[in-house]
Amino acid sequence: MPKRKVAALEKVEADLVSLQYKIRRDPRSYAQEFYDQWLAYDAQRQIFISSPTTASSDDVKKFHDLVDMVAHVANLYPEITAPFPDHLKELLNQHHAVLDKELREKVVGSLVLLRRKEGIDSTSLLTTLFPILITTPSKTLRNQLYTKIISDLRESNSKSTNHKLNRTIQTVLHNLVTSDRTSSKGMWACRITRELWRRQIWTDARPCDVMKEAALSDNEKVVIGGVRFFLGGDKEREELDDDDSDEDVDLKKFKHQGIINKKTKKRQKEYEKAVQKVKRQERKKQTPQNLNFSALHLLHDPQGFAEKLFQKHLQNTKNKFSLDTKLLILQLVTRLVGLHKLTIISLYSWFIKYLTPKQTNVTSFLASLAQATHNLVPPDVIEPLIVKIANEFVSEASAAEVASAGINSIREVALRQPLCMNETLLQDLVEYQRSKDKGTSMAAKGLQSLYREVYPELLQKKYRGKAATMGLRSGEVKLRKFGEEEEGGIEGLALLAKYKEEQKKKKLEEEAEEGKEKKDEDGSEDEDDFNSDEWEVGSTDSESSDGWISVSSAGDDDEPVKKKARTDGDDEEIPDLVDLAAEKAAEIERLQKLATTTILTPADLAKMHELVRDAKIEKAMGPQSMSKRRKELIDKHIEDGVTADDIELPAMLGKKATKEERAERAKEGKPGRDEHKSTQAIKRSKKEAEGKSSTNKEKARKKNFLMTIGKARAKNKRSLTETKKRLTAHIARSKSGGRRRNGVSI
Amino acid sequence: MGSSNKKKKEKKKDFQKAKLKVGKAKAKAASFTDTSFKSKSITVNQQSLSHASLPFPDQFKQHLSLCISAKSDSARRDALAYITNHISSPGHGVGIPQILTKLLPLLTDTSVPVRTQLLKLLSSLPPTSIPPHVIQILLYIRSGLTHLSPSVRLTALSALEWLLSAAGPATVSCAGGWLKTLTSFSSMMGWNPSVSTAMATKGWSVGIKPVLLGKHNTKKGEPEAKARQLEVLAKFIAEGLKEEVVESEFEEEAYRNNLYRLPTTPNPFAYLNLFGIPRDEENEMYLDRESRLRVFDAKWRAVIEKGKEDARKEGGAVGRAAAALHRALNGGIVVVREEETEDEGEDEEEEEDDEMDED
Repeated sequence: MPKRKVAALEKVEADLVSLQYKIRRDPRSYAQEFYDQWLAYDAQRQIFISSPTTASSDDVKKFHDLVDMVAHVANLYPEITAPFPDHLKELLNQHHAVLDKELREKVVGSLVLLRRKEGIDSTSLLTTLFPILITTPSKTLRNQLYTKIISDLRESNSKSTNHKLNRTIQTVLHNLVTSDRTSSKGMWACRITRELWRRQIWTDARPCDVMKEAALSDNEKVVIGGVRFFLGGDKEREELDDDDSDEDVDLKKFKHQGIINKKTKKRQKEYEKAVQKVKRQERKKQTPQNLNFSALHLLHDPQGFAEKLFQKHLQNTKNKFSLDTKLLILQLVTRLVGLHKLTIISLYSWFIKYLTPKQTNVTSFLASLAQATHNLVPPDVIEPLIVKIANEFVSEASAAEVASAGINSIREVALRQPLCMNETLLQDLVEYQRSKDKGTSMAAKGLQSLYREVYPELLQKKYRGKAATMGLRSGEVKLRKFGEEEEGGIEGLALLAKYKEEQKKKKLEEEAEEGKEKKDEDGSEDEDDFNSDEWEVGSTDSESSDGWISVSSAGDDDEPVKKKARTDGDDEEIPDLVDLAAEKAAEIERLQKLATTTILTPADLAKMHELVRDAKIEKAMGPQSMSKRRKELIDKHIEDGVTADDIELPAMLGKKATKEERAERAKEGKPGRDEHKSTQAIKRSKKEAEGKSSTNKEKARKKNFLMTIGKARAKNKRSLTETKKRLTAHIARSKSGGRRRNGVSI
Repeated sequence: MGSSNKKKKEKKKDFQKAKLKVGKAKAKAASFTDTSFKSKSITVNQQSLSHASLPFPDQFKQHLSLCISAKSDSARRDALAYITNHISSPGHGVGIPQILTKLLPLLTDTSVPVRTQLLKLLSSLPPTSIPPHVIQILLYIRSGLTHLSPSVRLTALSALEWLLSAAGPATVSCAGGWLKTLTSFSSMMGWNPSVSTAMATKGWSVGIKPVLLGKHNTKKGEPEAKARQLEVLAKFIAEGLKEEVVESEFEEEAYRNNLYRLPTTPNPFAYLNLFGIPRDEENEMYLDRESRLRVFDAKWRAVIEKGKEDARKEGGAVGRAAAALHRALNGGIVVVREEETEDEGEDEEEEEDDEMDED
């Protein structure tokens, strides 16, 4: 039915808006009028409910207006309007599918308004809106409900975390996902959870649990939602956090502008806003940063989750998900395996059939394989995979990209589990550094440098390099056995102990010197001490200089080295060496003991931090040690995961970009120009389009010639005194802020 | 120079003739706006001006839809007049319920002539067809009774008067017909106890409703409107508290009919409320006089008596109307007394006479 337009004059008689305004100003006097309208609303509601589908547009319009009016002033008459929220809820629950669009929007808006005015609580609002969000076929209503739900959750968590409400909603979402695993309704749980996670409103383990269930759903869309959350949710959160702090305000600039520009209310407001913003930012800086754990770390039972994911979606041959989805799931599974060092043995054998160059997205598979490897995976499980990659990808006949990707992925795997390699294969692969293709040769060199560091025995002697050979001899480079872990300790404790010892020594020395100067007769005891100190220092010196000899304990097949050691080492020195090695171990132990024998004061801790920092800086300045770099590399991948790009990277080496690519790169971030124009002209037109004014210079340039010519002529005819007068006047004027007297307080 | 030359050129451009080329479409003007659009369906309103060509049923239906959708007041009024004239003629093919659902929203129409015409139309409806639709009609009347605009209220009063005359018993006995209408009445008169209690809990005191009528009505019209309100209220209460005709004699046929014939009224078991949502006190059906009297005494008597007394003191038209209300109220009381004392009718008549004397 077409709507009749209501003319302006007609409205005057029945103006609900003005009544609402009056009620707001003086609720007491207008109670009777409000009650009249409340009755009218009630009658109109019954008319509407008796036939919601066939209600005439007039009726709907009237009802719409009355609902609006009542909602706006309901908080002033709580007794009369007590049933109002229930009316609205009932209306929405029963008739949301057939309601007029505008009326429906109004009803939802009124409910939210009531919530804002504390007429109803969040839980009841959300539990009303949520079921409708899931069931309604209307897209606009869904969008409206979604934004309202999110904003209400944000608001109710803004002052302090509303744990009760959060728990209720999380339970609702959890139930939604788990109740019917085949339906796509779980998407809403995913969307809401992800949004709230992104905004750091939900940061605990429960939303992760919801997403975990979503990832284990049967519906592909829901699964993707859950998996994507774990893979990218945290990054999103960080980005949003950065965005917020990005917009810096230059207060100085504003102040300066305030002096120069014309003073208007608008500028004053802008300035005040900027001040507010700066204050807010400062306050934010001062509040302690709350530590947020990533979703992957908050998971309960990651082993069970990863196993279930793998068995349900990947291993199951009846699963009909698309390859992209499967890849996403694989990424998550391998990420979990790498991060938490899980053991899923069947995962590795599952990989085998996908490791051929013809497989689509094979680099993603390779990256996932690298991600799934960690030092607790049995090497004999990975070895066949490495051999397969080598056989399929790396050969003289295969394309350069393929070979480089193959070698690179082998390197990534070996980085995490060096024991998976056998000697012949490695030697074969390292030979590829002679390849003509730069990518392949670089990848092979990378593999070689890795093994120089972790397991140089596997390399041929000529490829070991100086450092590795030396290390091998001195025993510094030691192969870590399967399952062996680095000993842990408190970072910087050794440094602190050393520092303390040095301080003690210094003190002793000073005391000793003083003692010498003061009294020579009493020196016998002191001298003893002094001697022993000197001896110790000396011994440590000899230790460091002779360190390379102690190969004997580690050396096995390096005969020339051994011989050399024997020829060098004197008969007296050999037992000494053994002692020295033992002493070294003992010293480390002693240093670590500091934590168990003494109580560290805050000053100690502060000193320790300082020492650690200094040590780090020193290291950063000098050449970085290899193992450190390797550790950093692995750490980085634990944070971000290995991607297909990492695997494909070496293939890009030595490739020149095409002309188009270069042109595109040059164009990036520059204004588009569809016609030939100067940069200045483009800037000017852009300014004009934004509604900004031109500069005085530009105005002067545009000025009609005939208008300026008179003045120009007059200028030529000026006498010297006249010119001088003008110039001095100009200077005086500019000093006092121009014609407008800018920056001068009168 | 640049700018003036440029402006000259620009000016010239406006008056230059567009060059037409063979085989090419004419260039579109700079101000051309593309107004084409795509639509899945196109609905055309009946716009034919020649009524004569249409057959009668279609004409009737067209007018019926015009009553709602016509933009101008006079067109709506004319359409209503047409319906009024032709509603009794057979063969238009539209039932009373359809007509009512279509036209009842016009009770709160903004134009006065339209509403008066609607009242005419309503009174031209056959009274026998009204009772089944009383609930629906009452809903619209109630929404009109507390409407913002005073003239709409007056129309609603007239409509209620008509309804009482057409289907009095059904009006007071339908679901929500008794208590809810009384609530609306008292709210309209400004005698509302529920508002004052609601406000009193907040420590507020509420005076008599300051403005009974809208700002456009002068003080002059106010007493008349109030008298009218009292008059209709009196009629309503009189209808509600009217003594029912008790068929004392047992009739064999009527008894059988009651048992075995199909009921003549729609939804004869409505009072059982078998399938609807449970009703509260306000929405309950008060089928017989006694139950009506009981709730009236409990909830409204004190308030209305007080209002009535105030109105009686005013005198004039208002006072007269208040007297009528007094009579209607006392009709109820007297009957109660009757039942208590088991006297028959005489006292009542006497009392009524007394009232008349007082006036």
